[in-house]
Amino acid sequence: MIPRILHIFQNTPLGRESLLQAAYFSKQLEASLIVYIPQHIKFLMYFDNDVVQIDLDPSYLYSPDTAKDHAAEIIKEAGVEPLFLEPKHFTASSLPDIPADFDYMVCPRSISDLSAKIGFGYVGAKVRNIFNAARFPVLIPSYVYKPWKNIVVFYGGSANASNALKLGFQIRKETRFPLNLFTYAEKAPGDYRKEIINMGLEDDLNRQVDNWRIFESGNLVDNLYHVPHDALVILGAFAHGLLRNIMFGSKLEKIQAALANNLLVVGPKYSAPI
Amino acid sequence: MKPWRYPARWALFKMDDRLLLMFIGAIVGTCSGIAALALNHSLHFLLEALSHWRQHWWAFVLPAAGAALSSLFLEKIVKEGAGHGVPEVIYSVSRYGGLIRLRSAFSRLISSCLTIGSGGSAGPEAPVVMSGSAIGSNIARFFSLNDRQRVTLVGCGAAGAISSIFNAPISGIVFTIEVILGEWTALNIIPIAIAAVAGTEISRALQGDQIVFSPQVFDIGMGDIFASIGLAVFTAIASIALTHGLRSMHQISGKVKAPLWIRAGIGGSCVGIIGLFLPVVLGEGYHFVHTMIEGNFTPGLAFVAVACMAKILATSLTLGWGGSGGIFAPCLVIGSLTGLTYHRMLSAIWPSVNWVNEGCYALLGMAGLISGMLQAPLTGIFLIVEITGGYAVILPLIIVSAISATLCHYIEPSSFYLKELVDRGHLLRPGTDARVLSDLSIKELLETDCVCVNQNMPIREFIKIVENSRRNYFPVEDDATGEFVGMLHLDDIRPYLFNRMLYDAVLVGQIMNPNVETVLPDDDLTEILHKMDSQRLFSIPVVVNNRFVGMISKATLLDKYRKELMVQTTS
Repeated sequence: MIPRILHIFQNTPLGRESLLQAAYFSKQLEASLIVYIPQHIKFLMYFDNDVVQIDLDPSYLYSPDTAKDHAAEIIKEAGVEPLFLEPKHFTASSLPDIPADFDYMVCPRSISDLSAKIGFGYVGAKVRNIFNAARFPVLIPSYVYKPWKNIVVFYGGSANASNALKLGFQIRKETRFPLNLFTYAEKAPGDYRKEIINMGLEDDLNRQVDNWRIFESGNLVDNLYHVPHDALVILGAFAHGLLRNIMFGSKLEKIQAALANNLLVVGPKYSAPI
Repeated sequence: MKPWRYPARWALFKMDDRLLLMFIGAIVGTCSGIAALALNHSLHFLLEALSHWRQHWWAFVLPAAGAALSSLFLEKIVKEGAGHGVPEVIYSVSRYGGLIRLRSAFSRLISSCLTIGSGGSAGPEAPVVMSGSAIGSNIARFFSLNDRQRVTLVGCGAAGAISSIFNAPISGIVFTIEVILGEWTALNIIPIAIAAVAGTEISRALQGDQIVFSPQVFDIGMGDIFASIGLAVFTAIASIALTHGLRSMHQISGKVKAPLWIRAGIGGSCVGIIGLFLPVVLGEGYHFVHTMIEGNFTPGLAFVAVACMAKILATSLTLGWGGSGGIFAPCLVIGSLTGLTYHRMLSAIWPSVNWVNEGCYALLGMAGLISGMLQAPLTGIFLIVEITGGYAVILPLIIVSAISATLCHYIEPSSFYLKELVDRGHLLRPGTDARVLSDLSIKELLETDCVCVNQNMPIREFIKIVENSRRNYFPVEDDATGEFVGMLHLDDIRPYLFNRMLYDAVLVGQIMNPNVETVLPDDDLTEILHKMDSQRLFSIPVVVNNRFVGMISKATLLDKYRKELMVQTTS
């Protein structure tokens, strides 16, 4: 089955960049891009064990008359067939339900706060909820459209990082772009290799990973400088409990605060196909 | 992993998950009972706090302010829609295994408190049902329970809330089964009953074992039994009038180009103006119901009839224009006014007949209104019996409830709660065709073992493919682009099979059917099945971006349908 990517279109210059990025991602993965042009300020996504209400930044409703044409034009230019999502179900008359059975979703760092306020280091509460509840990975596009030419997976040994690694292998197979592994060592470097071998991924590790950088010194943020500027960064979200993440911060928080790259975030409910 | 977050895996509950549901059902019933009491006490506090201001001529602004604040709170702070929320609960049970947002556990409590406490004509019961259901849903989510268990806990929340607010456990159970879940199974009834008991006990522990309306002794004669048939007709008319009033007010307010909170304020101020002349229309109105049941409501026939119509108008204005609250309490007030009107008409026409006390007709009217509006006769019967403590009126109660519900069903096939869902095709009751199909997805049914052929392929090559295939349908793709261009059925090559001369002369593209009906992976299975039936198709290709992705066949669909039906009916 052809993978399906959900994109919520924002008819603004910032939204155009996101859609260009989504179209590029879709083209690389030979996936169909399904665009939802919001008609209401909020919508619901019913996941397996959670329901998330997305209250959109009002700029998502700008100029509704031109939104579809703009979106179609951008997608066609990228060489992808535009498909638009029309909600079929409504929890209330002004509260559509958007399906949650996609393979990927493209989502900015924040979907509810005014775009003008969003900066690095901030991921909106709703986007976090989607990370936690979704069975699909979420692509956080860079602010300006930038085609990525290689893949970086952050692997730290957690279950989510393992899923991120598997997703990295899959995207590598589909795109043929080089795959680099980054590890900020918190234990002996050999242990990471053993973990991957125990997962039965030794073959993929040997054949598909072009370079594995294990940082044994320096802090995480300093080492992020080595991430190529044109890489798609794949990483797991919130491997630890909420309290620990609040007290000490999570790797995701530190990485997303420092990197301007496209980020593909794998949440705890995602299970990689391999 | 934290084992306490997954009680379904505990050894005790692994044996039989009914034990788990009974245990968590008691917790849910208790929590929803507390939520119901919190709203009840907040309402009384607000009504008392504002009571001395109601004497002033400007008191009409109180319901306006309350409704506007309620709308602002819902729209701007919790970002939910107006209304009472019961259809939302039924919808989530129907389609999403009872998933309800956490904010719904408190949002309607606060908004309805503002609307009703300030004098808006609405009731607190539906908001507490929404709140209780959301509590049940979120407790189920916290403990990672499955859809079936979650739906039961949503029912537990609703039952606990109704039981607590009315001190009426049987009504809580019956309302949940009849209105919210729409099914009665051995699996859900016990946890729901336990939740109802928990909700009632909390109510009794915190505010005493009080019956909502004081019990009365009625001496019902045969004449009254026959007269109750006429009352059923009256209550059915009042139910239909209220249903239409609510809907038309909603439509009218929708045409007003003003923010929601302004509209709610306009509706509230109209209610306030009516309330200056007829205070019976203000708030939940239980005080007046009390007086009517006791037979102490002194105004005459004309006043009672006008008050009944005014209450219908006030409720329509409050809820139709954006206020928050439910229709339970207004139904009880309108029902008792209808009963009183009817009784006084009978007394005026046949003054020599020894009719029972008019309080009895007020009770019967309440049951008739509830049964008519909700089209749930059992809820009407048990609620009135429990909240008045009077089993003596059970016979006329059954007659009024049954006839009122039936008449309303003829005129409005769907109840007030279900109308919108039915119109949108969103009501999927357990065991129905639509419900079974909604739980299946195209992904599950997709047959991907089809062999695609090129349109420039000669028949000779195609016959070789047919020899090694078990399928009758072959999708045809464009050689250059890979796009789907049509379908070829085995029957299509039959005319050429016995003429070997044509094997290299005829190409697949020449004999395929290019005008094939296709579907998308997001299409509704009910629509796909309808399409297959209407066009007599046995299978249909799924095409995305002009690419063939698989086939949906009727045989696979019906096979999966049967399996899903077994899962749903045996769980």
